[in-house]
Amino acid sequence: MPSKADQGRRMSRRSLLQGAATAGAAGLAVTALGAAPAFAATSKPAEHSAEQLPDGPITVHVRDIKTGDIEIFAGTGETRLRDKDLAARIARAIR
Amino acid sequence: MSSHREAPEISKDPVADSTDVYAFVSPDQPNTVTLIANYIPLQLPAGGPNFYEFGDDVLYEIHVDNNGDGEADISYQFRFTTQVLDENVFLYNTGPITSLSSANWNRRQSYSVSVVSGNTQRTIANGLTCPPCNIGPLSTPNYANLAAEAVHPIGNGLTVFAGQRAEGFYVDLGAIFDLGNLRPFEQLHNHFGLHIFSPATAGVNTTNHLNVHSIAIQVPMNDLVLNGHPTIGVWTTASRQRAQVWDADNGQEVNSGPYRQVSRLGNPLVNEVLNGLGQKDQWNTLPPSQDKLFAGNVTQPALASLLPTLYPGVFPNLAKLVAAKTARADLEAILLTGIPAGIVDNFTNYTGPVLADMLRLNTSIPPAPHGKTNTLGVVGGDLAGYPNGRRVTDDVVTIELRAIAGLTYALVDKNYTPDSAASAVTDGLTPASVSARYLSEFPYLGMPYDGFGNPS
Repeated sequence: MPSKADQGRRMSRRSLLQGAATAGAAGLAVTALGAAPAFAATSKPAEHSAEQLPDGPITVHVRDIKTGDIEIFAGTGETRLRDKDLAARIARAIR
Repeated sequence: MSSHREAPEISKDPVADSTDVYAFVSPDQPNTVTLIANYIPLQLPAGGPNFYEFGDDVLYEIHVDNNGDGEADISYQFRFTTQVLDENVFLYNTGPITSLSSANWNRRQSYSVSVVSGNTQRTIANGLTCPPCNIGPLSTPNYANLAAEAVHPIGNGLTVFAGQRAEGFYVDLGAIFDLGNLRPFEQLHNHFGLHIFSPATAGVNTTNHLNVHSIAIQVPMNDLVLNGHPTIGVWTTASRQRAQVWDADNGQEVNSGPYRQVSRLGNPLVNEVLNGLGQKDQWNTLPPSQDKLFAGNVTQPALASLLPTLYPGVFPNLAKLVAAKTARADLEAILLTGIPAGIVDNFTNYTGPVLADMLRLNTSIPPAPHGKTNTLGVVGGDLAGYPNGRRVTDDVVTIELRAIAGLTYALVDKNYTPDSAASAVTDGLTPASVSARYLSEFPYLGMPYDGFGNPS
């Protein structure tokens, strides 16, 4: 069992929503330095300084579009959201 | 096998697949305990050009419970980093590797060691070099020197090694997984009506001439035990980050999220032959403190009911025990709580009532004197051997076969008479079935087999 430190910190909902919006991915990972996917333009990144953003990949896992059950992973952190609107936007982005 | 490819999911992830764990009072440094966790099973020594290595994306840990709650009180963490000197070269090495700093060694690994205790995590060593894999006389001409160079004293009495070793666990997989055949007794097997075997034959060590990757740490005993509680529980885990995505643009995996456990190992063979197929993957994700969930697999083992069926008439008393649905308190003690005082003369490794699969080492029992080791451990009268921890040479297959066959049930029920076969059953192997010589000093497992000398 990994130690609590390695199980990761919980990021705030706000910071992860910002990260998720920046990544603009559903069930996908994009590296911060990687090319933005075509649907990125549909989600306008929030304004914030670079040091607020995780510098590794952000992975968004929409577990259930209907309930808006979303997991977001960045660094060694994770958070779980229930946001039907965000889930719907992500789902639309991959169509 | 002990725990090689023991569960459906982890069998697809060999880099994170724990195969064996050992814990024993170091025979040559009896004020220390040696902990060894092996990973990456069944390595063919000639498996190049990308020879075996630890996962940079895997968190490897060896845990110690010193208060009997089945939770880690001290965890040693190992994180690996791979370096390639020249990306344009396809070779692992471009000339003989004569030292760990050799410029001929193109793809190499180093690692850090951290200790977690309570809420504190401290990195105690960084940049420690692994030895290369043992390739052959041209590439690794003096492997013993390379391996010795990779034994790192890291201060405060700790010594570590991480790298390839010869597989020290001996087992006749080819026979055992052919419907429970044991070659020394195969004439007694029911043959499923096929009448294939007539005479008994000698066991064959399937893992001979194969390698594993070992993480070994030697720790001052006082770092591990609490005053007045000399018995510790030991297990290993491997963990991966929750999200893994194939980055097709760059041809690599990217990982994010917290680490979660994907592999666990304490006592040999528990997840392998006691837990059912539908439970093995879940078991690998949990700490020992949750093993109450699986206790029925230990106290009513399916293998105990199979033995009288596979070997008709050989285990009549065991068959009665199984038919009476007797809970096997002996197996529960050996595997889940430790053996209470009063069961075996002058011995206990009981850690309390919490049911938890851990190797339990009573550190107050000194190593067996040189030449007095019995590879059957406690059942062979050698209190320094399995299930009092586990030494690299212990015959855990035979010990556990005999225990499951009912030999140890007589310890908890004086009215029970074990079948005569229970003290004879074995897959027919000994430490001599391992071609690579075990070492008398840290890291104790033998030098890995080289690819040139073991090409198939």
